[in-house]
Amino acid sequence: MSASQAIYAGWMEIPRSAMVPEAPERAQEDALAALVHQYASTLYRVAFSALRNAHDAEDAVQEAFLRVLRHRDALGEVRNHRVWLIRIVWNIVLDRKRRAKTRPETDDVAELARVLPANGLSAEQRAAAAQHHAHVLGCVEKLPAKERQVLQLSAFDELSSVEIAAVLGITESSVRSRLFRARNLMAGLLNHARSLR
Amino acid sequence: MISNPHDSFTQGAVPGSAEETLLLIASLPAPNGLEERVEAVLRSAPRGGQVLPWPKTFRPASFHIDRPWLRVAAAAAIAFVVVGGGWGVYSRVERQQAAKVIVVPARPAATGGFSNAGAIRTPQTLNGPVLAQPADASSAANRPADATGKRSIKKKRRPAPAAKARNSAAATVAPGK
Repeated sequence: MSASQAIYAGWMEIPRSAMVPEAPERAQEDALAALVHQYASTLYRVAFSALRNAHDAEDAVQEAFLRVLRHRDALGEVRNHRVWLIRIVWNIVLDRKRRAKTRPETDDVAELARVLPANGLSAEQRAAAAQHHAHVLGCVEKLPAKERQVLQLSAFDELSSVEIAAVLGITESSVRSRLFRARNLMAGLLNHARSLR
Repeated sequence: MISNPHDSFTQGAVPGSAEETLLLIASLPAPNGLEERVEAVLRSAPRGGQVLPWPKTFRPASFHIDRPWLRVAAAAAIAFVVVGGGWGVYSRVERQQAAKVIVVPARPAATGGFSNAGAIRTPQTLNGPVLAQPADASSAANRPADATGKRSIKKKRRPAPAAKARNSAAATVAPGK
């Protein structure tokens, strides 16, 4: 093949992707469906730990995946999908909490009594457990926002301190120091409540 | 080294009950059918702009040319059509000509003709009513002036009221005489 033929051949070449436009679209949809199946429950638990309402948590998860759908072209550039998705849902949760009013403890008691596993407890014991958990969560809410966020995320088994740092956009040492402060504050709050009783 | 904060969670100052609560909340199972609901929402969500595919009969794949000389010929034909069309348009378009000037006959020079000597023509207006001058006005004008230079204007004396009454009484008596 001469040089001119090679030039013309390259010039007239039609890329394969232009001939089959549905292929990348379908690949993105498949990748998104896989993300939904893999991480929806994790995102739900992260959202529920902060919102403490099943419907709100599910809405947050759906909104997170809608955001992913909007930016599906960037899916290939993301290194850690899990942390990326948790960060998205965490930002949504924070936005919602900022807009919503402070939840009364009675709402938490009712919601916890509904969602907590029975584990062979009687109705009275379940109610008492729900009340106790709601009281603990009320103490968590009294913590400063930075410490509270680290404490809530650290309760998840699957999140390391590096990943918590990536979700919150801080350094790992900040995560450690905030966690330490949060635990101390939490112990103080619980002891104070116990002494009042 | 990646450390898990959960490992030190149990060793911290948080009392066991609080730790238990947080772990319990974090481990709550997701509701059934969550994935399906999320997928349904994603399916019904409006997508961004989408490029419509070509119909199968007009797909670029059907015009794919394998032989190189045919490609060259096709490229030459396209170039010929483009250049020929451009030349056709160019040759038909008239070039812009200079603007036509309407020649106006020159007026005779003002210096060579008669001048109006500064006279200004005024249009004729309608003749209005003319006030007739009384005849005495001319005689009064001819009368000589006083020593002071002022003209004496004699006022016509009006008769006194007593004389007026007398005259009227005489007029009434007279027919009866």
